[in-house]
Amino acid sequence: MSFPIVEFDPEVSQSLLHEVMEQSGQNLQACYQCRRCAAGCPVGEETGVSPDRLIRMILLGEKEEVLNNQLVWKCLACYTCGTRCPNGIQTAKITETLKQMCKQAGLAPAAPKIDAFHHSFMSATSHFGRFNELEFMGLYEMENTREAIKRGDWKAIAKEMKDQAKLGLTMIKKKRMHMGLEKVKKMSEVKGLYNKAKARSKDR
Amino acid sequence: MEIAYYRGCSLHASSNLYDIQIKAVFGRLGLELKEIEDWNCCGATSAAKTDEFLAVALPARNLGIADASGLPEIVIPCSSCYSRLLVSQKKLAEDPALHETINAQLEKKVLGKIKVSSILEVLVPEVQAEGFAGMASKKLDGLKPACYYGCLLTRFPGNVKVPDNVENPQGIETVCRAVGAQPLDWSYKTDCCGAAAVINNTGTSLQLMSRIMKDAIARGANCFVTTCPMCQFNLDAYQDQVGEKYGIKERLPIYFLTELLGIAMGISPELLQLDRHFTDALGLLKELKLL
Ligand code: SF4
Ligand code: SF4
Repeated sequence: MSFPIVEFDPEVSQSLLHEVMEQSGQNLQACYQCRRCAAGCPVGEETGVSPDRLIRMILLGEKEEVLNNQLVWKCLACYTCGTRCPNGIQTAKITETLKQMCKQAGLAPAAPKIDAFHHSFMSATSHFGRFNELEFMGLYEMENTREAIKRGDWKAIAKEMKDQAKLGLTMIKKKRMHMGLEKVKKMSEVKGLYNKAKARSKDR
Repeated sequence: MEIAYYRGCSLHASSNLYDIQIKAVFGRLGLELKEIEDWNCCGATSAAKTDEFLAVALPARNLGIADASGLPEIVIPCSSCYSRLLVSQKKLAEDPALHETINAQLEKKVLGKIKVSSILEVLVPEVQAEGFAGMASKKLDGLKPACYYGCLLTRFPGNVKVPDNVENPQGIETVCRAVGAQPLDWSYKTDCCGAAAVINNTGTSLQLMSRIMKDAIARGANCFVTTCPMCQFNLDAYQDQVGEKYGIKERLPIYFLTELLGIAMGISPELLQLDRHFTDALGLLKELKLL
């Protein structure tokens, strides 16, 4: 009988660990693998990576998998793991950090639709300071479709259009579709915050 | 009494019926809502997922405007907005350097004075006050709601003091009982429904909703009650899809808590705009002879 050997390079693992700890503000070294987080995570089963596993991967310095797994993108920020963790570790903060590290490293997101969603949300709110559903859907579908065209995934495009059209029509019927533009008057102030954010992320 | 009010984007758009109901119900309770002027989007889940600075700064602008109103309390009905503003206020209190950086960008500075309240923090003491029974004379007998809180009313990404039990909150139940409904004990009241994922990761969201639906039905619930516009929209608009995919025959109305209060207070279903639900919300009330 043979056992797989865990390869462990302290130098690689230390630098990854410290980067994640610093950026996320979470003390990963406190994790003792009790898996309370895993028991409550709504997506751990589906993604194959539960919060405790993700933390373990970081401690072991498995950088490639750490930056390229479904939990990082599919984490719902439900905060169940962090609320139940006896050591107060918020994995949602870790997944946020890893998403940003993934972007900084120029890696393609493991779940492009989710990336497009949050990206479009932020760009929609940056235009008028408020979230306009129709503008957002336009931006999101555009980004999404562009990605799908690149992949040549016509089936996904057709399905997306069908689903969204169905929802849109029901929303109109139920008078839940808002036709009007919501806008902040002092947009210069809101834009200032977005610019500041950009400058800060460049500094890092 | 005057209370500052942050509506947020959802209550201005697809869930503006909730805004109308809140104003009607609060009016009856003698609470006057003062919407803060020129507010902006709080950034919701997306800001937290993409930019740490914006996740604090966007809510902060609203906090500054709210502080400038001079009112002691602001009520925020949307769970996501509530969570973001509360967490931002807490973060700024803990991090003076960030507080200074953000305040330098703002015309109305964050003073950290105003009390940020969820809709339950306002409603629970109101229904417990003497005289409430006289205002809500209709008893909602036969209504057996599964009270649904979702994620963001009790769980926060920071060290925030929660005004209810984290794993088994009772605020919605308290209000339901005060109007004669019979809320049920069940297991999924704070589980995630995946509202933020329903467009970008539909399968996951439908699965999460199926678990919530199945438990509520198994317990004998005939409806859901929630205070979060995103949970309401998700469970309401996608219920048919969940049912079809997971073989669930039952369809349960997803009521806003303000709808139960409104009916109990004798506010008309037209004024409450109960016809704007995706999953029929009027049939059950008629069947129970509450309308
Ligand atoms: S609950 Fe906390 S300590 Fe336990 S495995 Fe999860 S992260 Fe580690
Ligand atoms: S916050 Fe993310 S990692 Fe934690 S339990 Fe929720 S989905 Fe899982």
